[in-house]
Amino acid sequence: MSIVDLTSMGESQAELRKEINDRLSRLQEDVSDYCYQCAKCTSGCEAHKLLELEPHKIVALLKRGLIDEMVNSDIIWTCMSCFKCRERCPQKIAPVEILFALKNMAVASGKQIPGKYSTILQSVLSMGLIQDIQEVTMRDTKTKKRGDLDLPALSKPSDPAKFQAGLMKIAVEKL
Amino acid sequence: MLGESYMRRIGVFVCHCGVNIAQNVDVDALTTYASTLDGVVVAKQYKYMCSDVGATLIKGSIKEHKLDGVVVAACSPRMHEHTFREVVNDGGVNPYQLEIVNIREQCSWIHSDRKKATEKAKFLVRSGVAKAKLLEPLQTSTLKVTPNALVIGGGIAGIQASLDLANDGFKVYLVEREPSIGGRMSQLDKTFPTLDCSSCILTPKMMEVANHQNIELFTYAEVADIEGSIGNYTVKVRKKPRYVDIDKCTGCGDCATACRLKDRIASEFDMGMGKRGAAYMPFPQAVPLKYTIDAEHCLFITRGKCGDKPACREACAQKAIDFDQKEEIVDLKVGAIVVATGYDLLNPESLYEYGYANSPDVITTLELERLISSSGPTKGEILRLSDQQEPKSVTFILCIGSRDETQCTWCCRIGCMSALKHVYLLREKLGDDVEINVCYTDIRSYGKGYEEFYRNVRGLKTNMFRGRPSEVCNMGDHQKIDVFDTTTNKLFEIKTDMVVLVPALVPRADAGDFARLLHLTLSGDGFFLEAHPKLRPMDTFVNGIFIAGCCQGPKDIQDTVSQASGAASRAATILSKEELEIDPLIAVVDEEVCTGCGICVEICPYEARILNEKTKIAEVNDALCTGCGACIAACPSNASIHRNFTKKQLLNMVDDII
Amino acid sequence: MKRKFALYPGCIMSTEQYAYEISIRETLPLLDIELVDIDGFSCCGEPLKSVNQLMMLYLSARNLALAEKNKLDMFAPCAICHLALSECRYVLGSNPEMKGRINGMLAAEDLTYNGTGEIVHTVDLLHDRIGIEEIAKHVKKPLKDIKLATHYGCHAIRPKEIGRPVDSEHPMKMEAILSALGAETAEYPEKLDCCGGLLQINLDESALAKAGQKLKAVHEHGFDGLVDVCPWCHKMFDARQTKAGETVAAKLDLPVFYLTQLLGLAFGVKKEKLGLEFNLSPVDKIQIG
Repeated sequence: MSIVDLTSMGESQAELRKEINDRLSRLQEDVSDYCYQCAKCTSGCEAHKLLELEPHKIVALLKRGLIDEMVNSDIIWTCMSCFKCRERCPQKIAPVEILFALKNMAVASGKQIPGKYSTILQSVLSMGLIQDIQEVTMRDTKTKKRGDLDLPALSKPSDPAKFQAGLMKIAVEKL
Repeated sequence: MLGESYMRRIGVFVCHCGVNIAQNVDVDALTTYASTLDGVVVAKQYKYMCSDVGATLIKGSIKEHKLDGVVVAACSPRMHEHTFREVVNDGGVNPYQLEIVNIREQCSWIHSDRKKATEKAKFLVRSGVAKAKLLEPLQTSTLKVTPNALVIGGGIAGIQASLDLANDGFKVYLVEREPSIGGRMSQLDKTFPTLDCSSCILTPKMMEVANHQNIELFTYAEVADIEGSIGNYTVKVRKKPRYVDIDKCTGCGDCATACRLKDRIASEFDMGMGKRGAAYMPFPQAVPLKYTIDAEHCLFITRGKCGDKPACREACAQKAIDFDQKEEIVDLKVGAIVVATGYDLLNPESLYEYGYANSPDVITTLELERLISSSGPTKGEILRLSDQQEPKSVTFILCIGSRDETQCTWCCRIGCMSALKHVYLLREKLGDDVEINVCYTDIRSYGKGYEEFYRNVRGLKTNMFRGRPSEVCNMGDHQKIDVFDTTTNKLFEIKTDMVVLVPALVPRADAGDFARLLHLTLSGDGFFLEAHPKLRPMDTFVNGIFIAGCCQGPKDIQDTVSQASGAASRAATILSKEELEIDPLIAVVDEEVCTGCGICVEICPYEARILNEKTKIAEVNDALCTGCGACIAACPSNASIHRNFTKKQLLNMVDDII
Repeated sequence: MKRKFALYPGCIMSTEQYAYEISIRETLPLLDIELVDIDGFSCCGEPLKSVNQLMMLYLSARNLALAEKNKLDMFAPCAICHLALSECRYVLGSNPEMKGRINGMLAAEDLTYNGTGEIVHTVDLLHDRIGIEEIAKHVKKPLKDIKLATHYGCHAIRPKEIGRPVDSEHPMKMEAILSALGAETAEYPEKLDCCGGLLQINLDESALAKAGQKLKAVHEHGFDGLVDVCPWCHKMFDARQTKAGETVAAKLDLPVFYLTQLLGLAFGVKKEKLGLEFNLSPVDKIQIG
């Protein structure tokens, strides 16, 4: 027996669904199964009006096990992480956390990481911070950077090699 | 003593409970094993021991084998102990020389390994037989019943229960803490799905209560304390001073007109939207039709001075105003109690995002009831509170705090229908041009005539949005709501003049304190817990106390009235008897061992223990003792004994299996 | 009584949003707060949560462990960092197995996370630890005749479940602080709306549109300025204001301040010492002092 989505020929991926729910249950109490589709999340979604993200649909697709459809879609990368959906859900479900899990899955499956995420990741791996000291323009159009100011030296990992080794270990581990 | 009651002719009866027991416990092996136990002269099994055939089997065996003790291995004693006691009694054995061994809830249902479950069942039966050998024959005693009833709460549930009991011929004391009976229903304008005028159907019943010769009404009064048990309760009722002699008051209203605080105090009845004075009557159809002086606000009471002389007292031609009135405690003797204390609405401020705290134009359903009511603060005109203008658009949001794991997990059961009713009434009052929006999660129109009513409302140009808004934004002259409608898969922006929230129904704020006073139990949601959700829905775990209406859980008027009549009938079952049997399975005191320390008196939750001042020995009031066992555990000298749960009997059960 | 905190600067404040750091270092010592600098901090991990959640937990635990090693509570002025650190503490606190795994990895750098330290943000540090009364005592030049809108930042207010420095639906601590400084504040419907900051990473246009919408609303409500407490939000509202305005077809000139900058101004600290020259929004429009 099987259930198939005839628009995409997608089938329920029970294993992946379980993986996401396990991952979520480590971060919060309840999983998506309790959702009754009131769509309070989408009514208030900061990304919906601009980018058409529908958190309630994400939860529904997860319940149906149609994971690939989401992992392969750009829509999961439109979330602004405002956490409003998690805050206000009457069933204590956190679409925002489901989206984080889906994005992690997309990355782990080798899909190209969108935007500057790779740059940020590279920067954190190499120096511990998402970016190095920037030269910034002031209101009078002059520019300055940290060293020009009366501020202490930038705090960053003192042994980058050791730090990087630690992070690399995680990159291959699963939550 | 032991020697005399030491029984040796025990019969063991093993029940299959269909397959409930038999599929996980080898009943053949168990029966064979039981027959080998010391003292057992017969062991039998049957598919349904609680059936007539099973009863005949037990009775026949008692006769045939001259049994003097019976062990039934079946379901929980909560289920069928009573049944088997009667069977054993009919068979000629003292009903208290029966021991139930629970091999269903405590064995077959909770284990999956059949072999091990059978072994466990053997241990349980062996231990049961060990106890049965020591069980003493006990006799029930009786007590006289006081044929009066107390009904707490004068809403529609309390009114219905009172009238039913009074019409059955019992004396009824009805206690209501507000100045008038009527409760929530008196605040409503119309009722769904028939659109009966709420006052029109309620007021006659209120009048009937007022005039019924069997009903004594205590308004502005509260239950302060309760003692006794089923059949004989003594209840202390605290009558708050209303500073008006109700025998003299004619309800003319001259005091209210004269009150210096007239129209200066928010009226509770009008949900704070209307104003009253310190001398007031909550609503025109109040029963009793008497005025009350609100001690919290009255200038004369709070400051000792109201102009030269209290204006109300000067105005009252009947000289009914009496500032010397004091709180009064009245003792009532009753045999049964019906609790009908009602509900509160969830304060929507706990869901700040819905804007209730932010704008006067976001109101609750109960507030809308008062706006629609012709006796309400706007005389029935639908006006926004911010500018006293008629709204051109009204939006309802359902399930505010209901079905919500962060607020109230339950469904309020009346929200959908009450919102639909309001839609109908607003359409009637405001005409075709007003825009009416309803944001719902699921419409639950389950009652008789409800679905048909929902259909009607759909036809009234109602914009139904299937989705829950995330927030209500106060834009000053209007409210803005974004709602994702799952029927069209679109996000809609609603700009509306007035928002009506449909909040969850919650237990009364003091339900917990009240439950402690009456020894009632609360369910997880904070409402009063019924003894059984299906089979004893009006009973509580305290014999003689029954519950009706929304204090037990949210329900509509129809269900409330039905439950109230049911509770009255349950109470009448007790009140109609002259005497009641008392279960002998309660505590007794070994007078030779008791040191009179008094710990049992302190620990007893039912006030069933007293210390005899003369003999300095603790005593048990058989009528009050429930056999809970608290005193047995607490007694430092082992003088407290629970009949047929003696130390000797229990140790024998343990000794026999280790 | 002097209170000591490890200052956890986070990436954006320490490499770009200098005004926040300058004003923090200038004003908090006036309120008897000693800020201790610890070498070796890394990114909090929050911007990488989309890539790898475990990495976020590891990075936050690592930073918390560093503060613990120095026996100090942590002051994280960035709302995003504050959430990452708080979530790490929340998750590891209820999941001993995960805590064990993380600690196993931290051992390589000779660190252990116990979860003993506190984490504070600018708003609760000022409002709860120092207190309105104490702040009011330091006011020398009250902020007169200005009406300010507040922006707390999503990460500072949500999710409540994790424990945030302010109420998630009705945050009022900044209002209380600003009122102690003499300024007027008011509620506005868009108060809890997002700045779009994190979306800069992959959908920059949308991020700007989000910020633009909010700025436009604040402007239309007649506020004289906007106050924030997060370097990501501030970057959107201040440094990128002109661009944000373009996305909503508005020419915006709304002064945007860090709360600590206004704190300093009200305390009589010189403008130059509060990094105000770094604000790209027209903060000069408002005459203070």
